Amino acid sequence: MDAIETAAVLARARQGDSDAFRALVEQHSRSVFRLAFRMTGNEQDAEDVVQDSLLRAYRRLGTFESRANFGTWLYRIVANCSVDLMRSKAARHDRSRKDTLDEAVELPAVNAPGPERMAQSAEIEARVQDALRELSPLERAAFTLRHYEGRTIDEISATLGLGTSAAKHSVFRAVKKLRIALAPLRSQES
Amino acid sequence: MHRIVTQHSTEDDLTLYYYGEGRQRADIERHLESCAGCAAAYAEIAGTLAMMAAPEVPERGDQYGREVWQRIRHTLPERESSAWAALASVFRPERLAFAAAAATLVLGAFVAGGVWTRQRADAPATSAPQSAGTSAGTTGGSTAASGDSRQRILLTSVADHLDRSERVLTDIMNAPRGDISAEQRWADDLLDASRLYRQDASDAGEQSVAVVLDDLERSLLEIVNSPSTISAVDLEQIRRRIDAASLLFKVRVMSHEIRQREQAPTTLPRTSTRTTT
Repeated sequence: MDAIETAAVLARARQGDSDAFRALVEQHSRSVFRLAFRMTGNEQDAEDVVQDSLLRAYRRLGTFESRANFGTWLYRIVANCSVDLMRSKAARHDRSRKDTLDEAVELPAVNAPGPERMAQSAEIEARVQDALRELSPLERAAFTLRHYEGRTIDEISATLGLGTSAAKHSVFRAVKKLRIALAPLRSQES
Repeated sequence: MHRIVTQHSTEDDLTLYYYGEGRQRADIERHLESCAGCAAAYAEIAGTLAMMAAPEVPERGDQYGREVWQRIRHTLPERESSAWAALASVFRPERLAFAAAAATLVLGAFVAGGVWTRQRADAPATSAPQSAGTSAGTTGGSTAASGDSRQRILLTSVADHLDRSERVLTDIMNAPRGDISAEQRWADDLLDASRLYRQDASDAGEQSVAVVLDDLERSLLEIVNSPSTISAVDLEQIRRRIDAASLLFKVRVMSHEIRQREQAPTTLPRTSTRTTT
C-alpha cells in the first residue's frame, strides 16, 4: 500500500468504514503480534494484545491525526495494551514464576537434546525469561523497547507516555534487576 | 592529546553508553580505557545484556491479518459518529453497566407499552409523556403516541438483540475448535441484556418471546462458561444443544415476527424514533 493509498484508507477508516479498517488490520497484524510477543514473552498473551490493541485503535481512530504515521500510532497502542495486560496478570505472576523456576531447576544437562552447550543455553534462556518476569510491567516494557526494539529513551518516553526521566529510570531499574538475577549465570560462565 | 577523564561513570551512565545514548560518550570511552573499576563494571553490564538475546517470535503466516480480522470483526465497537451508532454502543463491554440500565429502561417501556396498549382507549390524550422507566401502574401521564413509541423501541431492541445473538450462534456453529474467546466476550455482552429482556417479556405476557430468550440465555451461558480454548468434543456438545433446541431457527423466526409487529401501522406509528442498529 503506497502513501496515497494508505492515507485514503485511513480517511475511510476514520469515517467508520469497516472495510477500510479491515485493510489496516490485515496490513499491520503481523508487526503488532511481533511487538506484543516481545513485550509479553507469551504467545497467548500476545494474541490477546493483538486483539485488544486493534479494537482500541478502532475506538480511537477519531483521535488519530491524519498527518501522523499510523504505524507509529498503533505501535504506541500495542505497547500500552501490553503494559495493561501485564499489569492485569500481576496477581498470577508469582505462581507462573514458581513454575518456571521449578522447570529451570529440573533442567538436567544429561537430558539435554544436544551437547552441554545446548543445555547451558536452554538454562540461560529459562533464567532470562524468569528474570524478565521479575520486572514490573513498566520496567519490562521500557527494557523491551530499548533492548529488543532499539528505541531511544525519547522514543520510549513518547511511546509509553512517560517523562524522559521516568522512561530512563525504568530502563535503569530493569537493567539493575537483570544484573542481579543473572549474576549467578555470569559467574558460572566466567 | 586526549585529556584524562578522572570522573568515574555511574552504572546508569554505562547502561546508556552501552545503548549508544547519553552525553559525554567520548569522555566515558576514554575513562574506560584508563579505569579498571569502571571497565569491569561496564563489562558486567555488557555481559548481562549480551545474554538477553531477542526471543524468537513465533511465525505468523501471510493469512494472519485475515485471521485476526475474522476474530475481531464482530467485536468492533460501534463508532460514535451518529446517534444511531451511539445507541448501539451501549451493548459493548466497556458500557455494559450502562447497557444494563438502558435495557431496564427500555424493558420498563415494554411493560408500560403493553399495559398502555390495553388501556389507551381510556387514557387521557393530553397528558405529558412519562419517562421510559415509568411503571405499568403509573401510565396515566403517558400519551398514546409515547406508549406506542416505547413499545416499538422495545420491539426493535429485542429484534436487534436476537439478530446479534443469531450472529454469535452462527459463529459458534462454524468456528473451528480452539480459541473461542472472541465469541465468548460477545456472548457475555449479550447475556445480561438477554436476561432482562426475558424477564420483562415474561412480565408483559410475551410468553413466546420469553421462551426463546430463555433458550438463548442457556446457550449464551454455556458459551461464556466454556474454556476459551475449546476442544472439538466440547464444541460439538454446544453445537448439538443449539441444534437440539432448534435455537437458530427459533431466533430467526422470532426476530422476523417481531420485525413484522414493529411495522404494523395500527400499533406502531411510523413517526416513532428508531433507536437501535
